[in-house]
Amino acid sequence: MIAVLGLIVGVVAGLLVRPVVPTVVEPYLPIAVVAALDAVFGGLRAMLDGIFDDKVFVVSFLSNVVVAALIVFLGDKLGVGAQLSTGVVVVLGIRIFSNAAAIRRHVFRA
Amino acid sequence: MSDDRTTPPGRGPEEERNGAAAVPEEPAGPSGPAAPAGERPSPGGRERLIRGLWPPRVNRNQLTVALLLFVLGLGLAIQVRSTSENSPLRGARQEDLVRILDELDSRTQRLEEERGKLENQKSELENSSDQAEEARRQTEERARQLGVLAGTVAAEGPGIRMTVNDAAGTVEAHMLLDAIQELRAAGAEAIEVNGVRVVTSTHFTDSGAGIRIDGRKVASPYRFEVIGMPQDLEPALNIPGGVVQSLEKEQATVSITRSEKIVVDALRSAKRPDYAQSSSQ
Repeated sequence: MIAVLGLIVGVVAGLLVRPVVPTVVEPYLPIAVVAALDAVFGGLRAMLDGIFDDKVFVVSFLSNVVVAALIVFLGDKLGVGAQLSTGVVVVLGIRIFSNAAAIRRHVFRA
Repeated sequence: MSDDRTTPPGRGPEEERNGAAAVPEEPAGPSGPAAPAGERPSPGGRERLIRGLWPPRVNRNQLTVALLLFVLGLGLAIQVRSTSENSPLRGARQEDLVRILDELDSRTQRLEEERGKLENQKSELENSSDQAEEARRQTEERARQLGVLAGTVAAEGPGIRMTVNDAAGTVEAHMLLDAIQELRAAGAEAIEVNGVRVVTSTHFTDSGAGIRIDGRKVASPYRFEVIGMPQDLEPALNIPGGVVQSLEKEQATVSITRSEKIVVDALRSAKRPDYAQSSSQ
């Protein structure tokens, strides 16, 4: 419950406070958000599976974000940023879908 | 969620085993002490989710996850806001921006070139229409000038009016022709004698009591309407041994008056030459 509240508070704060994102970080924010989403879905699935571990969740969340941003950053430096970020989004999207399918089976039993 | 920490035995096979939660003999699933031994020996995902959500519990797990989810929500909101309210350029990467800039540059260049081309075309068209207008004007002017010479248009201007009164009937065609020659030599530009326009093809012939000019019979008094410079025309006729004197020798009386406005309005239709053709084509 507290976790859901945290998510809601974060969204509301982002909408209300309008924090200024540094220009350097800006291109990596969308990828980082998608990676974090992937981590959150993975965590939810683990929770439903009964194997949730907060340390694992924190590490996977942070490493997902960092690695995704790093890949995009590297792609930008190599000149294939657009393609690499597409690839990252595709991979994360697939993972999110499979996690969502597992969660669905848990929740709806179907 | 807090219960999950205490359920390490759940790490069984990685497939979605709880999807088949209706099968009770599934060996997986945490064996929580709270698990009722009723119809379902191990709590399913749904029960775990509900238990995690309610009642709210404050512990390290929840707080950690809440913090991370707060960060996620923040990033999500920022990203959504920046994509929705700003131009799509804001989130674009450097190479995309460079590409867009290049495209815009080349587009600008192309449009500039097109503009220049069209400007040139426009000025060319204006020039050519100006030139056509000028040519038409000059042609009209030339046609008027030639018309004055050819006798196809009326003319007016300063000149003299000469009247030859031939009471004795002794004036002959060649005398009038001499007068015409003299006037032309003095710069006469348009001449009319008794309503007959004198042009290049005009001929004078004697015919009994009078004279025929271009076949039309004219009789005394012969009235010359001459356009030219009066100061040149009158002395030219009056020179000693000239036209006036030789006419007066034939008992004709000659009177010459200068006028600032002589109208030569006798016309002659232009005759199309049968044999002579312009060689300048």
